Amino acid sequence: MNAIEIRNLSKSFRGMYAVDNLNMTVPVGAIYGFIGENGSGKSTIEKLICGHLVPDGGEIKLFGKDYSDAGVRVRVGALIESAGCFPNSSVWANLMMQALNLGIENRAEEIQRVLKIVRMEDNAKLRFKSCSLGMKQRIGIAMALLGNPALLILDEPINGLDTDGMRIMREILVDITQNYNCTVLISSHILGELEKIATHYGIIRQGRMIQELSAAEMDARSRVFVTLKAKDMAGAEQTLRNKFNTVKREEDYIRVYDVNDTEAIVEHLIKNGHIVSEIKKNKVGLEEYYIELMSKKEEA
Amino acid sequence: MENTAKLQFEQPSFFKRLKGMLSVDFYRLFHTPLLYIFLIIAALIPALVSMGAMGGEGEATGMFSNAWQIIAANSPLYVISDIGEYANMNMVFIFGGIMISIFIGHDYKSGYVKQLFTTHAKKQDYMISKSLLGAFSMACMCLTYLLGGIASGAFTGLPFEINAGSLICAILGKMIMSLGWASLYTFINIIFRAKFGISIALCFVLGTGIPVIGAAAVIGNTPALNIFLYGSSVYACLSANALTLFICLMNSVVWAVVYNVLGTLILNKRDVY
Repeated sequence: MNAIEIRNLSKSFRGMYAVDNLNMTVPVGAIYGFIGENGSGKSTIEKLICGHLVPDGGEIKLFGKDYSDAGVRVRVGALIESAGCFPNSSVWANLMMQALNLGIENRAEEIQRVLKIVRMEDNAKLRFKSCSLGMKQRIGIAMALLGNPALLILDEPINGLDTDGMRIMREILVDITQNYNCTVLISSHILGELEKIATHYGIIRQGRMIQELSAAEMDARSRVFVTLKAKDMAGAEQTLRNKFNTVKREEDYIRVYDVNDTEAIVEHLIKNGHIVSEIKKNKVGLEEYYIELMSKKEEA
Repeated sequence: MENTAKLQFEQPSFFKRLKGMLSVDFYRLFHTPLLYIFLIIAALIPALVSMGAMGGEGEATGMFSNAWQIIAANSPLYVISDIGEYANMNMVFIFGGIMISIFIGHDYKSGYVKQLFTTHAKKQDYMISKSLLGAFSMACMCLTYLLGGIASGAFTGLPFEINAGSLICAILGKMIMSLGWASLYTFINIIFRAKFGISIALCFVLGTGIPVIGAAAVIGNTPALNIFLYGSSVYACLSANALTLFICLMNSVVWAVVYNVLGTLILNKRDVY
């Protein structure tokens, strides 16, 4: 069973398609990293899943049921664009309202639990409007976590967080998927952070899904390369070009792609009279993979 | 991923869903100043009306001949000849419209409506909950208006002679009408959503009864106007009886159903946020 299954989903605004015949599959228990440039349709898709927008066509299934099923939707937690809290009410009151909305019985305990998860237990009495951006994001997460959601939809939750906040968020997301049987759909522009936690990726462009893959698949598809420094960089680059297919110069380093054997490179350079001062095996990360994929699409 | 089999989705009943929505709405109602401000306003209106009715030397100007006229007119007059026939408990419906517009407007402005619509797949929950909340608030305003009216009546020295049964029917009739009015205002607000300035203006125009008063000026003082919310609200006057209550109940419930069905249809067809 998949947590989210979308088939041929379309949504237009004033004749312009924001989501165009999109297909998407999020397996249960996944942390699904949703990637795309600004205006690519990520938030629109998330709003469609949450029932905030009415689709022009297509099908959205959550845990095998239509997305309008009341039993499934009550188990969806979302943080889309902003926390959706009343600014003049306290953090506690905002969480209490959401707990009442969800029909949670042990409300006070549940609020304490989620506040503890987001490390906000000492700030419950603060008015929402007095909270910092990072705190507001965490309150939004806390609201989404109330009542043990089966699906968590988070739109740019790490925006505005400091390094420590990002680490906390990472820990929270890993914890809830591993211990609370929750599936997470998370969109973010901070791909380095996403790469640390995502088990699956969906890359979207102009409202269309251009690639869906698991973290393992991405790992397998990612190009390996060797970075090195030599005393005579220009000469070493030329020498490497004579033997290897893809050699690129990047600032102070030379990159030799699709080669895993550092010994062969070093041997070739020494044989040609070059001195190697630094050498390291690498793999293309999510960010580079994404940029590469996007530029390929652009060219196509 | 091994926990997949444990996932179970219990179907919440209509009453459980509604209870959740009502709980959050009433929590907000009682924990924010909005309702209390409007309750005070409702209590102050009769005092202001009475002050307007007083002559320079503290005597009644003739606008009212009985203290209970601050609550309702003597007879169901849709065509207004003086302000005394108009200035009564029906004004609660104007202020109720403003209150509901602010309440729903804040739902949208704060973004809290996203939480409500994410967890409530059935959009009728929103319409029904807001209609009931508005009806409750306006019924409470009727009560504070009544208290304010009694105090003002005592202050002006007007006689309190009345048929108690008719007075109770008039007050209950107006309280019952709150449901229909609240549904209308909720309907208007889900059309205009965060633009609650427009909603307030429209609620004000409809709450004042201007369209019905205008129609009455053209077609005369006919009971046919009772089919409208303002018509039935006026009908709940100091000559009211059990039939009046029945008409108010039917009118209020029918309009409440109509506006709730239309509102739900709009919410289902339109993007909500």
